[in-house]
Amino acid sequence: MAKILGIDLGTTNSAMAIIEAGEPKILENSEGNRTTPSVVAISKSNERLVGLLAKRQSVVNPKNTISSVKRLIGRNFEDKEVQRDKSWLPFDIQKSSTGGVEIKMADRWYKPEEISAMVLAKIKADAEAKIGEKIEEAVITVPAYFDDSQRQATKNAGEIAGLKVRRIINEPTAAALAYGLNKQKNEQIVVYDFGGGTFDISVLEVGDETVEVKSTGGDTHLGGDDFDRKIIEHLISEYKKQEGIDISSDPLALQRLKEAAERAKHELSTVFESEINLPYITSGASGPKHFLLKLTRAKLEELIKAEIERSIELVEKTIKEAGFKPSDIDEVVMVGGQTRMPAIQEAVKKFFNKEPHKGINPDEVVAAGAAIQAGIFQGDVKDVLLLDVIPLTLGIETYGGVATPILEKNTTIPTQKSQVFSTAADNQTSVEIHILQGERSMASDNKTLAKFILDGVPPSPRGIPQIEVSFDIDADGILNVSAKDKASGKSQSVRIEASTQLSKDDIEKLKQEAAGHSEEDKRKKELAETKNHAEQTIYLAEKSVREAGDKIPAELKDAINQKTEKLKTSIHQSQNIEEIKSAASELSLELQKIGQIMYGQNKEGGEEQKPPQQ
Amino acid sequence: MAEEIKEESQNKEEQSSISDCEKQRDEYLDGWKRAKADLLNYKKDESKRFEAIIRFANEAIVKDLVTVLDSFDLALNTLGGDEEFKTQKGLYLIRRQLEDIMKLSGLERVIISVGQPFDPGLQEAVAEVESDKASGAIIEEVEKGYTLHGKLIRSARVKVAK
Repeated sequence: MAKILGIDLGTTNSAMAIIEAGEPKILENSEGNRTTPSVVAISKSNERLVGLLAKRQSVVNPKNTISSVKRLIGRNFEDKEVQRDKSWLPFDIQKSSTGGVEIKMADRWYKPEEISAMVLAKIKADAEAKIGEKIEEAVITVPAYFDDSQRQATKNAGEIAGLKVRRIINEPTAAALAYGLNKQKNEQIVVYDFGGGTFDISVLEVGDETVEVKSTGGDTHLGGDDFDRKIIEHLISEYKKQEGIDISSDPLALQRLKEAAERAKHELSTVFESEINLPYITSGASGPKHFLLKLTRAKLEELIKAEIERSIELVEKTIKEAGFKPSDIDEVVMVGGQTRMPAIQEAVKKFFNKEPHKGINPDEVVAAGAAIQAGIFQGDVKDVLLLDVIPLTLGIETYGGVATPILEKNTTIPTQKSQVFSTAADNQTSVEIHILQGERSMASDNKTLAKFILDGVPPSPRGIPQIEVSFDIDADGILNVSAKDKASGKSQSVRIEASTQLSKDDIEKLKQEAAGHSEEDKRKKELAETKNHAEQTIYLAEKSVREAGDKIPAELKDAINQKTEKLKTSIHQSQNIEEIKSAASELSLELQKIGQIMYGQNKEGGEEQKPPQQ
Repeated sequence: MAEEIKEESQNKEEQSSISDCEKQRDEYLDGWKRAKADLLNYKKDESKRFEAIIRFANEAIVKDLVTVLDSFDLALNTLGGDEEFKTQKGLYLIRRQLEDIMKLSGLERVIISVGQPFDPGLQEAVAEVESDKASGAIIEEVEKGYTLHGKLIRSARVKVAK
């Protein structure tokens, strides 16, 4: 079936996604980028340019380069927003015969939907080239505050571009969809969308299969670009103080500073200090001048503190308008690149006293949500094909009480996996298969699903038998565990019906328990492994002494026996990993002497030639 | 008679349950085939994606290093282009060393000659200036442009004639 494209038609940038194997996937445009500037131009050579190409020539062709058309689409010319934007938009606009807006590009007047259609047409063509299929339908997102006329105009833009618009959906709803929040029942969701040029807040209520917008707010002229400008202003003034030179009038210097400021802003989301180093930024009376300044995260946060505070005030206001208190809000979703900034995340978290959702790339989450809506139309998300995952790790107990995972949690089922194990003692003829469920490192801390015994293993030294344990779990979660001795061909199996029958709460509890105990578990596992290793050393020591017989001097034999006893005691009595380890390494040092004697390498004064340990 | 009717209706019932089964069988078989095809296609896509990842894995660092090349260019410009002077020659050689290493990773310079028409596919216009050249012609290359394995990673910055 033909794919339906999900499109986030943004004020400054747009993005697109499709559903592939049930998951949204962002498509790159023909320039290889995941977002496309929402810019259209007619170049001086009369060519129509869209996206990055249009942006690249905007400086020399400002009158015929149209950006931010989303601010005009579906609006009346007399709207106060249009009148305000008119003053700073570099191109000409006029009132159309129907009272709407018309935009001049080259020598023609265009409707805003025609301009948007050019962006959509490029997106459509690039998506078709990328997936090698024709695309005829789309789901397009708009801000929650868009009125009927703005929605209709956006829909028309899609139709002009040759797309049948299956639905216009709200950007915050798309973001909530991307996080799967539409499946919640009776929840209040706040979507905090801090983009490059606009800041939107939406309060949503999820009922049965419906997402209702309760209120919207924000500031259409507040965004990450304001942050960049603040940083640049700060850097210019600092440089002036430091060098006495004003670089604000040098366009190339300013361009380099702008890029460096953006990079520093991004860097400061992960590090606490960033150095802005621009050699040969300009030249003064005494020769070339360099730009070298440090910007700390604290300084950055101080610069944009007012903006963040304002955004929180707007959140408060919007929630109040919806008739809620901050404590009524169940989920908070972060959208827009600027929400990567730790200070913003912190402020939002503090206000709601809740961790916001931010796992999906905030620049792409809206397009991903649009694709999910498209997928619902396509019918990709059919119940029959929904594959489950196992909620908790399944494994078996191995020597020392260690839980060894076979199927990790979140493995998609049906699936099958096997692993070969061996015996822990000489002449062991039976093994117990103890099937476990849970995330803890030690068997006793996990849940026992079943136990069975495989016997008839031919007697042989430890570690020789090969016992293949396989876990096979079908689509209904029914687990079959079998163990087979490869030598004798004997096998034994068990069927467990309810391996995934745990309530959501149980699973959460178990996972949290595991997380809480991870340090302690790690130590226990290490202790078990150390003891295991030590016992192997003892086994080797006893075997070597027995086999060497009279070929080694009695005093070495005594030393080995003594060290063996010491190690045995520490295995049984000590819980101290280091102590066992050191006793084990003392013993293996003695053991190496056997080898040296046997190979006749222990010449007089040959003490120094100890082979390296292990 | 009554029995016959009963039998017939039973037959019909069986018929319809068989055809239901067949329908379901076809649906499931189709689903299975699709899933299998999806997996195979995914594997093919994945191998292509891996190739692209390998080719462009270093895109971010190459992009950042391009700014170092810019700084070298600025330094050389400021000092004067004459390669015979010792400092300049050293700087020039270090720059070349860096660019050569980046070339091995797939970096290519976008060659621009003054006078050629401005092409937004490869260049970014930073200013418009009066000139005796034809309108729209490139007058000066302010910053060099680069491609990585044929993909433009930094457009050249140019001044264009009015």
